[in-house]
Amino acid sequence: MKRILSVLTGVFILLLISSVLFVSCEKKPKEAGPVTFALWTQESESEGGFQYIEALAESYMAAHANVTIDVLQKGTEDLREDFQTASLAGDSPELLWTVSDHAGPFTTADLILPVDDYFDMSKYVESVVANGKTWAVPITAGNHLMLLYNKDLVSKAPVTTDELIAMAKEHTSGDMYGLVYNQTEPFWLAPWLGGFGGKVFAADGVTPTLDTAAMVGTLQFLHDLKFVHKIMPNEADYGMADTLFKEGKAAFLINGDWSLTDYKGVLGDKLGITAIPKVSSTGKWSAPYTSGKYFMISNSVEGEKLDVVVDFIKFATNTENQVELVEKLVRLPGLTSVLNDPIVTGDPVFKDSGAALAKGTPMPTVLEMRANWDAMKPELIAVMSGTKTPEEAAKAMQAAAEAGIAAMK
Amino acid sequence: MNSLTPELFRASLGQVGSTVLLIAMLAVVMEIALYLLLVRVLKHKYALPIMLLAPAAIGLMLLVVAPILYELRLAFSDMNLYRFKNPNYGIGVGLSNFARIFTEPVLKQVGFFPIFFRTMLWTGIQVVSHVTIGLFLAILLNRPMKLRGLYRTILIIPWAMPQVVAVLAWRGEFSFEYGFLNIMLKNIGLAGVAWKTHPFWNYVAMNLTNIWLGVPFMMVILLGGLQSIPSTYYEAAEIDGANWWGQFRNVTIPMIKPVMTPAIVLGVIWTFNNFNVPYFINQYELETSDILVTALFRAAFEYNRYGFAAAFAFVIFFILLLFSVWYVKVAKIDIGFGQGEQKKKKLPKIAKTAVAATEGRR
Repeated sequence: MKRILSVLTGVFILLLISSVLFVSCEKKPKEAGPVTFALWTQESESEGGFQYIEALAESYMAAHANVTIDVLQKGTEDLREDFQTASLAGDSPELLWTVSDHAGPFTTADLILPVDDYFDMSKYVESVVANGKTWAVPITAGNHLMLLYNKDLVSKAPVTTDELIAMAKEHTSGDMYGLVYNQTEPFWLAPWLGGFGGKVFAADGVTPTLDTAAMVGTLQFLHDLKFVHKIMPNEADYGMADTLFKEGKAAFLINGDWSLTDYKGVLGDKLGITAIPKVSSTGKWSAPYTSGKYFMISNSVEGEKLDVVVDFIKFATNTENQVELVEKLVRLPGLTSVLNDPIVTGDPVFKDSGAALAKGTPMPTVLEMRANWDAMKPELIAVMSGTKTPEEAAKAMQAAAEAGIAAMK
Repeated sequence: MNSLTPELFRASLGQVGSTVLLIAMLAVVMEIALYLLLVRVLKHKYALPIMLLAPAAIGLMLLVVAPILYELRLAFSDMNLYRFKNPNYGIGVGLSNFARIFTEPVLKQVGFFPIFFRTMLWTGIQVVSHVTIGLFLAILLNRPMKLRGLYRTILIIPWAMPQVVAVLAWRGEFSFEYGFLNIMLKNIGLAGVAWKTHPFWNYVAMNLTNIWLGVPFMMVILLGGLQSIPSTYYEAAEIDGANWWGQFRNVTIPMIKPVMTPAIVLGVIWTFNNFNVPYFINQYELETSDILVTALFRAAFEYNRYGFAAAFAFVIFFILLLFSVWYVKVAKIDIGFGQGEQKKKKLPKIAKTAVAATEGRR
């Protein structure tokens, strides 16, 4: 046993020495900055957003030797789920760069800070407001869907759905499709619902209104695009629609402003941008959801760290960086002064994107929207796979949304 | 994305290494304390075994027992996003959670029992397929043949691959436009199948994927069992006039039963609790493809019904506990540790003859 004790003591001393070496190794970056904070974003690498944020963080760290920013990329829904879980564990990231509808669950669960006290919100475009407080700082405006087209294939943008269908039919043959978009996400259903005169909530903003004639009309229209007019692939998610359009195998694509950098890089001047057409049967413009990307601050942040986080947000949304964002990511900025700058107003891409944005409607950010999204998705897929009629799907959506809201409470 | 620079490598090593070292140091401190207490003060008879077991026991307490206790507490709470930081706890709240599992939709529209029966069907299809195909392949590979080693290696590849990687690769192949399954179907003049969006075909897709993943395990286990059967048993059976089927039914099956039974039971538990395949193949979250564990995950992390999901987890736990208790009983009969005589009585006539032959009684 004496041998055991001496061996254990020896191991302990060895570990102590090693730990000093390791800790000194770990401390190195910390010596450069006593303030470290994590920034989670759902911007992807493929569209250049993540690289832009990393460069922004590098630039801030270069100017502030005492600050270390850990930038981490996550899928949109992963970011929401992981932020909630991390907050529950008391280890949430300090700052988020994310979409507006995350504010619903985060404010309900009391996970983020109101930002009115730290920023002059009059300098920014409309932000996420609930219970009389502002919960996010706008980085970009828009996040809206548009109709993109390949000018090599299509010379003129369609204005109505009848025109779109007619033009798309001309370009559908073999492995070539007239129209592609993400058929699996209800975010792509929302513009058409607006065109059919529908809304997902009643006037109170929290009661689902999914079993309506407008929803049935929307689902029937989408069903017919695929099964009657046969202008779309049998199955298409975001990736497939994106690939088909880039490969020149699709004349029209419905996608958001976040993707413009990528398509400009592939198609250059051949990229056409226009608003999603008017629904011919109603004469109403399709109304994509508008929001943008926002900074949200975890309410676990306080003291000196909060000062640094606020300073970083001010840095990221200053005029110089917003201009750079416009140039690099081809998105409308969150800062009003830059939004009205000739760099935006004089650019034809932004002119077209802005025109499409003008047709949009603000995306609901209440928690109940979560239940609506979850209720719409499987029913939309069921209609698009031909397993449910639009009437059945609309009815099931309503029931699921109501059950979802009840279950969340 | 940052490339793996020496600085990044050093920083990561520092973060991970310091944690590992801290744990190691705590273990050593604990061992010294135990030594002083058990050896020096108490002069305990089992001092060394206790010292050796202590780190693992404490690790299990922290990593298994503590989360289960937390889960139990959560099951008796109404925690959700509205009551995220200050949930209500109580027996009544917990009972209500358990009642809601059986009376309300677990996710959007489907209740517990349809998902439970779907899970049973999934488990049944999988285990039957794994055993049937695995046994068939094991018998094929148990014969003298050329390139046997190569065939075995190829057949084991699905098992050797990380499951998530394999499942995501399969998901890509279920693409309507670019997946090889639909390309093959189209090449022979058939229409492509909507593997990802059609409820029935998505269920088929997840079954196909898991059969591909699960057969190698069963094949390896059963091949081991087959190789342990002495050839003299088959010779004796042949002398008794048994044909191929007779030998298979009366020698092969009884002799590999001790290997096959635990493999089947483990297969049932793993398949019942398989998360990766149903979750990742069901890319569009079709409720018709959810099994109990994926429904549980969605209830907790997509619908944020933490209290409800914790209660749901206990229901799944009790289902598997009941199955495991039954298994222990079955295993005692079939494996029969220390019950050799009892086992012999249960063997069919030909197998008994074979056993007798190897024991030199004939």
